[in-house]
Amino acid sequence: MTDAAFTPSEEDLVLAGEYVTGLLSLAERAAVEARLRRDPAFVALVADWENRLADLNDGYAEAPAPNLLPAIEARLFPVAAKPRRNWLGWLGGAAAAASLAVAVLVMLPPVTPAPVIATLASADAPLRYDAAYADGALIVTRVAGTPAPAGQVHELWIIAPDSAPVSLGLLAEASLTITAAKPPAGWVLAVSLEPAGGSPTGAPTGPVLLTGEIRL
Amino acid sequence: MTDDPIADLLNRTAAQDRAAFRSLYTAASAKLMGVLLRILQNRSEAEDALQEVFTRVWLRAGRYDASKGRGMTWLIAIARNLAIDRIRARGEATSDDEDAMHAVADTTPRAETRLIAAGEARRINECFDTLEPDRAEALRGAYLAGLSYIDLAARHAVPINTMRTWLRRSLLRLKECMEA
Repeated sequence: MTDAAFTPSEEDLVLAGEYVTGLLSLAERAAVEARLRRDPAFVALVADWENRLADLNDGYAEAPAPNLLPAIEARLFPVAAKPRRNWLGWLGGAAAAASLAVAVLVMLPPVTPAPVIATLASADAPLRYDAAYADGALIVTRVAGTPAPAGQVHELWIIAPDSAPVSLGLLAEASLTITAAKPPAGWVLAVSLEPAGGSPTGAPTGPVLLTGEIRL
Repeated sequence: MTDDPIADLLNRTAAQDRAAFRSLYTAASAKLMGVLLRILQNRSEAEDALQEVFTRVWLRAGRYDASKGRGMTWLIAIARNLAIDRIRARGEATSDDEDAMHAVADTTPRAETRLIAAGEARRINECFDTLEPDRAEALRGAYLAGLSYIDLAARHAVPINTMRTWLRRSLLRLKECMEA
């Protein structure tokens, strides 16, 4: 919403303030967050409000937090599992990632349901993807929830023990099929929310929406 | 090294230092839990959100720039943004007016006392004091408890667009005052 009394630069300043104070609706917040990804001047306006209002943070009383580090670390750094030979070289470097990218195909889900080897879910989101493996292909299908909002995309990652996530591709459609060897049990599949076109850095940049451990 | 221990831990976390990440949890989890509880008003949701906050901190620490602000300010922004997105997603119009009122009445005076005690917050308080009292209170409630225009309009019994116009003009005045 605009105000006829405001100049365009005042509009931006006030919008950044509305975002930081938390007044906006979910849709308005999503629009601001989309702009933050492409407008460095607006990023600076938001940071300025955050710094100026930081004194209000004294109004938040500390509250004892349980030690959630084990759960957080299990999510970020999955415990070592015995890798199978076909996947050994997978996370070795960019060459492996590049060859994988070539192998990624977007296809329709198969007619015969393949056995599910991982369920990618989160306790607080209706979104869910199932990962199945059959006939030399990993098939990841959205079984609940909605696609990413306009301008964003779900990106699929595989995380080997003690390794950084490697992108398996964008979940732009309801289903993504990747020709690959069967991933070992204990490895983790994750879905993050990224700008359209996928993570610009090669590592997840947006929130991790879902994770699921591979169980064979 | 800086005079901001949280910033130092964030910089080390950005370099994939897991020990620094654990120290960051020890140093900041109680404050961030306070933020999440205040906004979400539910312990199990706050604990779940705290896990997500630290997941984001690990993934985004490389984007923290100590020259642009203090470490704790950056962490609290991540926690507030996550909590606000979650309560908005919970249902735009389901916020209980009485709860919202209680949440604001509960700690606003305490916040003010601490701010004055801290001494360094004089400027922001002076600037809030230049606003109409109900508008200053509405802005503080939005910031601390995550109240939206819809929540505040219900609470102050005015149309949403009236509240929006009031607070947009108040934000502009606040900014002008803080920069004066």
